Amino acid sequence: MSKNPLVLKFGLILVIVALSAFFFYPPEEKINLGLDLKGGAHILMQVETDAAIKFEMDRVQNRLGQAFKADGLAYDAILPTSTGTVEIRGTNSGQVGEIRAKLELLVRDWDRIDLGEGSWRINMPAPYRAQVEIEAVDTTLATIRKRIDNLGVSDPLIQKSGIDGKRILVQLPGVEDPARIKDILKDPAVLEWKEVSYPPGADPNVWGRFPTKEAAIAQFGEQLPDDTELFLEREEQPDGSVQEFWWPLKRVSTVAGRDLRDASRGLDEWGEPTVRFELTQEAGRRFEVATRENIGRRMAIVLGGSKSKEVISAPVIRSEIRDSGEISGGGFTIQTADDLALKLRSGAIPTDVTILEERTVGPSLGRDSIRSGLTAGFAGFLGVMIFMLIYYRLSGVNAAIALALNILLVFGALGALPFLFGAAGIRATLTLPGIAGLILVIGMAVDSNVLIFERIREELRLGKTVHSAVEQGFGKAFMTILDCNVTTVVAAIFLIVYGTGPVRGFAVTLVIGLVASMFTAVFVSRQLFELVLLRIRRDQTLSI
Amino acid sequence: MFQFLKDPHFDFMGKRGVLLPASLVLVLVSVVVLAVNGMNMGIEFTGGTEMQVKYAETPDVAEIRSTLNAAGFGNPLVTTIGDPSDNEVYIRLASRGEGGDETETEESSDDPTIVVLNALRGLTSVPGRRSSDLNIEDEASLAILLGRAPGAGAAQAQALAAAILEARREGVIFGTFEDLSSIEGMTPELQTYLEDNATIGPLALRSQSYIGPAVGRELVEKAIVAIIGSLIGMLLYIWYRFKLQWGFAAVAALTHDTLVTLALFSLFNQELSLPVVAAFLTLVGYSVNDTVVVFDRIRENLASYRGKDLSDTVNMSINQTLSRTIITSGLTWVVVLSLFLFGGAALRPFSFVLTIGVLVGTYSSIYVASPIVVIWQSYLDKRKQRPSSSKGATERRAKKIRRSSAG
Repeated sequence: MSKNPLVLKFGLILVIVALSAFFFYPPEEKINLGLDLKGGAHILMQVETDAAIKFEMDRVQNRLGQAFKADGLAYDAILPTSTGTVEIRGTNSGQVGEIRAKLELLVRDWDRIDLGEGSWRINMPAPYRAQVEIEAVDTTLATIRKRIDNLGVSDPLIQKSGIDGKRILVQLPGVEDPARIKDILKDPAVLEWKEVSYPPGADPNVWGRFPTKEAAIAQFGEQLPDDTELFLEREEQPDGSVQEFWWPLKRVSTVAGRDLRDASRGLDEWGEPTVRFELTQEAGRRFEVATRENIGRRMAIVLGGSKSKEVISAPVIRSEIRDSGEISGGGFTIQTADDLALKLRSGAIPTDVTILEERTVGPSLGRDSIRSGLTAGFAGFLGVMIFMLIYYRLSGVNAAIALALNILLVFGALGALPFLFGAAGIRATLTLPGIAGLILVIGMAVDSNVLIFERIREELRLGKTVHSAVEQGFGKAFMTILDCNVTTVVAAIFLIVYGTGPVRGFAVTLVIGLVASMFTAVFVSRQLFELVLLRIRRDQTLSI
Repeated sequence: MFQFLKDPHFDFMGKRGVLLPASLVLVLVSVVVLAVNGMNMGIEFTGGTEMQVKYAETPDVAEIRSTLNAAGFGNPLVTTIGDPSDNEVYIRLASRGEGGDETETEESSDDPTIVVLNALRGLTSVPGRRSSDLNIEDEASLAILLGRAPGAGAAQAQALAAAILEARREGVIFGTFEDLSSIEGMTPELQTYLEDNATIGPLALRSQSYIGPAVGRELVEKAIVAIIGSLIGMLLYIWYRFKLQWGFAAVAALTHDTLVTLALFSLFNQELSLPVVAAFLTLVGYSVNDTVVVFDRIRENLASYRGKDLSDTVNMSINQTLSRTIITSGLTWVVVLSLFLFGGAALRPFSFVLTIGVLVGTYSSIYVASPIVVIWQSYLDKRKQRPSSSKGATERRAKKIRRSSAG
């Protein structure tokens, strides 16, 4: 074998080594560590689109009510009767024509049915419903993105997930206090102003809240009127305990979530944190009317999604409020006022969000895992190397070089994957099982070397020349090496497809490692042997 | 050349009459063990909440349990883990809706992890009330908190927050505010500010996981599909490379490996999780691997030594590959053992599977897969009413194998 091809082959090896080193150095920047090594939170959320439908219904109810009142169209009540359906009851049969025209104007896309006897049914048709659901998910995703941006988390992952596209996956490295994050992510932060509901003849200046649900209902007689609902307030007492009160409030809000334009933290005259807000112009007009009618009475500020609404404050309205105001007396700390302002600013989430899965790794555990992984890897590598050197002598050095190169190639590949497939959103992340996979690869890669070396020994024992033995050794062993690796790769591929994060990381590292080992054990080792063979005289034997 | 076994001539197949039935008994015993002892399922499959917290002082498990009971969790699992000096506690709660974990509200939306953490720290969970706990707060929030201190610049706040987190990464849990004084960048003014505006809780969070029932079910399904798919893949592969009967022999071997390892896994009460399933699949790959090497040699020798008795050929093949088998199994085992010893508690169930599995896998290639090949072939030959050791039959079989492998 002439020297030139050998030089070329070594040249190729050096190029590959250089590329790998480039892609993997410096490791802190190039290698993406999984959350189990870096510390952080992984949260999978489901967007409850039913709540979005209900929210939309509430909005429609509200608008219908205000529009009817404005035009002097009489009615007894506007209520939801099932998901996606609202009924207007007790209308004046003389105003049928005007009502029909008004409905056509307000809810053109909906099904409008005259039930007779002054009742009308408004129904959300299926395509409209699907549209509402899609928008709900998209809005939620956008809002969550904004909230996370505001938090200043570095390198977050936020994406839609799940077959029905109604799930959102969030991965936040360095977030080790999941409670606050989950609150910020999940909180619909729908802020609503509701009028306090009084039974006819009651004194509006009376304190409108009650210690129990029963006491509240008793005010109205047997049961609450149709337009009223009970809302909970939890107030912290000076001694630190929490007392619960129930407010009877009008179900339909005067002003709500979408109507907020901006929010920030402020301070009231006693130095307590408050939340300042600004409304849109259209909402401002409605609010002006509502506050004008309620001067001297309380209005409740309700925060929360459809399952968790609570009254956070119920101030007495002193004067008209047009488009900006302040929420005080909500028991805010600086941090919670900040958080609420953040949530309000990034927009309300028009639905409920449930958490399906959460995994958080704290800072110390991440560090410990890296340490253990590296120790185990080092011990394994050392153990294998010592054996190879003792048993195969100088050829053991050959195996050592091949193995070291193998590991370098794997790290290089991990660093390079984002470059190659970044567009497809594939991130090669090193996780703890991934480190385990790499350690396994050390064992399996050496297998290939052993296979070849044993064949070479066998050929030498049969009396073949050194050159011939090496050639036969590599030739015959190749198929077997391929066979061995194929079975493991098959298993790994299933794990990649059906596995989740850390398991997928393991399988990817395994596949990359085995493929790289084919290269290093067969090609690189061979070239190293050729190098040795160049210097061997006829009568010398191979150190193997 | 230094060599372990110079030209071994063990009669492996001779002992198959004893050892193959022994393996069968082992498999049956394993099945019984699994049926009786059951399996410790991780929350990935059962759903639920688990948390690992580290206390500054030695924790009182009984007190923790009663605190959790008072918070509304009926039957929490609370144990210490790791070294006693670690002061670490592992808490596991059943999936929502089981174990009686809620009080008066018909559907509490309170997150169990938040309720547990607050209960353990002696706080009440009220919206709008949260103070910064220096043992739990994350870096970004700490930076904001410190940034509000009088006279503190934003950069200074960031650096100090990073230093506090770095200390916590190294495992430090603050006991008193005095402990902060050794943090790089801490000044007496800032320390006083923190004393007024933050708290130091009794514990730090190592990790927590919550798996909802929907996700739990999906993970189980995915795991099952992955397992079945892999097995079919293996079978197809061996069918393609060798004969179908040999494929079944290999599958018998890997079933043996999986069941025995699983039984030991259950006996040692290790927790089944997705990475463990991955370990089993890797084990299957490895076992088939090992079997393939022997089958390869058997096939090669069947073609070269046509006159030989099948049992002798198989023996010869195993002996020839023995050196290689012992070394590679040995090396893989060394690597896996170092994972088991040094890889940390998180990987232990995973490395347990592989540590046992590699040993069992090597054994099964010799004493499960190969004997089955011999027995099956002999059976097939007897059915054709030709003695299995006749020259003609071996030659015909060799021809068939050569034809199928040349394809």
